[in-house]
Amino acid sequence: MTMTLDIIIAGGGRVGFETAALLDTRGHDVTVVESDGDRCDAMADEYVATIIRGDASNPDILRQADVAGSDVIAGLTGLPGLNLAICMEAAELNPEIRTVARITERDQEGYERFVGETVFPEGAGARVAANEIEGSDVRTLADVTGTLDIMEIRVEEGAPAAGKALRDVRFPAGTLVISDDDGERVARPETTLAPGKRYVIAVEPDVADEVMNLLRG
Amino acid sequence: MIGMGAMIGAGIFVLTGLAAEIAGPAAILVFALNGVVTAFTGLSYAELAASIPKSGGGYAFVREVFADLPSFVMGWMLWFAYMIAGGLYALGFAPNFLELLHVYDLTPAPDQVGAVALPVVDAAVPAAVGLAFVAVLGLVVLNAISTAASGSVETIFTLIKVSILVVFVAFGATSPMFTSAEFQPLFADGGGPLSILPAMGLTFIAFEGYDLITTVTEEVKNPRENIPKAIFVSLAVTVVVYLAVVSVAVGTLGADGLAAAGEAGIAQAATEFMPTGLPVIRNGGAIIVFGAVFSTLTALNAVVIASSRVAFSMGREDQLLPSFGQLHHRYGTPFVAILASGVVMLGSVALPTQSAGNMSSLFFLLSFIVVNGSVIKLRRERPDMNRPYKMPYYPIPPVLGIVLNLILTGVLVEYLLRTDVLALGLSAGWIALGVVAYAVYTRLGADESASKPTGADETAPQTDD
Repeated sequence: MTMTLDIIIAGGGRVGFETAALLDTRGHDVTVVESDGDRCDAMADEYVATIIRGDASNPDILRQADVAGSDVIAGLTGLPGLNLAICMEAAELNPEIRTVARITERDQEGYERFVGETVFPEGAGARVAANEIEGSDVRTLADVTGTLDIMEIRVEEGAPAAGKALRDVRFPAGTLVISDDDGERVARPETTLAPGKRYVIAVEPDVADEVMNLLRG
Repeated sequence: MIGMGAMIGAGIFVLTGLAAEIAGPAAILVFALNGVVTAFTGLSYAELAASIPKSGGGYAFVREVFADLPSFVMGWMLWFAYMIAGGLYALGFAPNFLELLHVYDLTPAPDQVGAVALPVVDAAVPAAVGLAFVAVLGLVVLNAISTAASGSVETIFTLIKVSILVVFVAFGATSPMFTSAEFQPLFADGGGPLSILPAMGLTFIAFEGYDLITTVTEEVKNPRENIPKAIFVSLAVTVVVYLAVVSVAVGTLGADGLAAAGEAGIAQAATEFMPTGLPVIRNGGAIIVFGAVFSTLTALNAVVIASSRVAFSMGREDQLLPSFGQLHHRYGTPFVAILASGVVMLGSVALPTQSAGNMSSLFFLLSFIVVNGSVIKLRRERPDMNRPYKMPYYPIPPVLGIVLNLILTGVLVEYLLRTDVLALGLSAGWIALGVVAYAVYTRLGADESASKPTGADETAPQTDD
């Protein structure tokens, strides 16, 4: 069963902060580690995460961020070497933790021995930019919606809505289930939310955590 | 606003009479001193709420700081405190509702319907208890099948309550009864100054609103300034309103009269001095009585939500059965958490009002101690945590908070030993039950996770290869 994840994000810059904000709307507990005081204050005003001020590669700071009790750590600073170091250090302190490191080049193969996942924000950003530049009037929705989030969510076994027909589930206002399982048909009232299957769902940010609760438990 | 709503509303209507019963006219002092004691805890709440952006109140903060068992006990206590508070408000609602009916001559005077608080069995007691039961049941069902009323409604409710109390104070302070008021002897017979201590313990529940404020902080804009402000403003307003209302009530009805009226004390005081013969409402006191009914009901609603939210958070954190942490697929509400809270609340309606107040206060005292402790622990263990609001003169306020709350806890326990062993036993029983449940649950949980691979497959699909 999925409960709220405890997540540490090292680096509270644009990437780190946006990630933290997104995870917060999905109902997770986020701690951000950031060394710059002004950034810390700015983030505190947004009120999405607990903030530790300091250098994330310092073991004492990592301990204060509660590595031992966290499920995931993501090194999202602009420095791939630092991200790698943070992830490896965290894995040393807590072998159970999942690690995600931000890298700055397309080639990611070299990192896979050391971290669980890599992210390459520039790559994602480039796709969006290319879409904009092309200026096509019709395009797929990844990364181009405003605050509306269009997600593919796998229904968890034992979640409140698992195995229920769509018409029997009251999603909060601001939710739209778009696809049938496996994305081959548009969802209908009799569509059943089968556990293990994935569904495309549009969600407004303020109800994201409720939707996650219904589908993931 | 939600915190103020709960702090100002029901506590004052329900508890004033009971405080007067124990402490005499010194009930005024009781509320003032409680305000001082809770101010220290208020500082702790402000610091925690500003630096930990979680809506979940005391439990969420303690969960952040302490290991599994202590945070479980904290949540368990807080959950209970809210549930019993629900029973208390329901019990306060009933006699006030009867008084309201009485004002319109629909029923005999409440004192003929029975001194509800006392476990003396006369035919009328079931009427009030039944009424309380119905009130709890109604609100639980309402909350279980539909999502809660929005914050703006809560604000309007609070304004209505405050205006009603202002009317009460204005009429009371200018009435002839008040000008000849007797505040002597200040202390109840034979009690002396120490008699205010148990009364402080009893009425402590009136300040539970802190925790409520911090349960809704997610919607706050600019928390660095606004959360501490919300906490201190509501504390100040609450204390001022309480002092004014209690002074007037004691001044007009007298401590003995107030004590005799019990949970309907304020309402009774009001009917004494409010103008009569008005059109439609007939009797000015009806406004106040209506206020009491209204306040107890809204407060009851607030604690139904608050208690279920604590249970819900505990379910989310895997400290209660996961079903507590899940929304109901058809109603979109934390159905199991609300129902479970409702069951205990319904049970607590059978308690005498005093016991309910005592138990709820006891648990709030204990949880406030833990909250103060977690400020200290957090400062020591995570010195580099960003704290948008830092309390002044650390560590004096949390230490004082702990010491004062401990003293009150001690006094309350001692008082309960003498007068209300039932409440004490039930409280101890609840904690014992919690520890046993926790042991069983973690044992089961450990077996389950040992036989199952850890769920690593919850990445959002975008990050999948």
